[in-house]
Amino acid sequence: MTDALYHKFVKRWEEVVDLPPQTVGPLTPLYKSAVKRLKVMPWPMLVIGSLFMVIGLYLLLGSAITLLVSILQRGI
Amino acid sequence: MGDLILTGVSFGRTLLGVTTRPYETYRRIIDRASLWELACITVLISIYCFTARIQVVAVVLTYLVTVGLFWLASRLLGGKGTLSGFMVGWGYTLIPTLIWFWGTSILYILVPPPRTTSPQGLLFSVIYLLFSATLLFWKVTLSYLALRFGLRLDLKKILIMSVIVLPILGLYSIGMYRLGVFRIPFL
Repeated sequence: MTDALYHKFVKRWEEVVDLPPQTVGPLTPLYKSAVKRLKVMPWPMLVIGSLFMVIGLYLLLGSAITLLVSILQRGI
Repeated sequence: MGDLILTGVSFGRTLLGVTTRPYETYRRIIDRASLWELACITVLISIYCFTARIQVVAVVLTYLVTVGLFWLASRLLGGKGTLSGFMVGWGYTLIPTLIWFWGTSILYILVPPPRTTSPQGLLFSVIYLLFSATLLFWKVTLSYLALRFGLRLDLKKILIMSVIVLPILGLYSIGMYRLGVFRIPFL
């Protein structure tokens, strides 16, 4: 158990030395909180973010979003 | 043959990893920097290109241009990563792109455009945009990880680099559009 814990510590230490943790000044706690949710199973966050984006687009463009979708579908 | 199966299994595990645990998987991808995995991604993309009648060369060229631009910009900003690690890392960012192109192609056959403003048309549009935006955010996440671990850069430098590289990629995309290669670039 101690060995496993030690190896985990060494691995983490090497990671931190290799690439220092990211900080963004006073926004660091917010950044850490967002990133924590993206590190493992990010899909709920990705879908929620997309939902906000689509709602924003609908509020901005209204029914013209169908035009945007037609362009994207024809784009390939 | 055994090596091929092993590479396939390893690639499958990494694909699952970038889906469910992108952060630690990307650390592993960059550390290992296996160019065989890049070959697996190329095969997947080639299958799509063959099916959709897109030139594989154009996709590979776009990938090389993107990697080259980010690599050059990272050198200017003091990036310390390895080119092979970054190449493999960036290769995996093409997975969301590939899924989007497959999804859009299949939907083009099943529900061809144009979309109307009927309730069904609006509902489809909202679902399609949700699908597209989710994949876009996934792509952005993977791209950030590729730049962070592949080029050993912090957020500030990644943002500066994006300001330099993205307009050039925009111009490149317009050029490809004008040449009739892509309507939507396979970035």
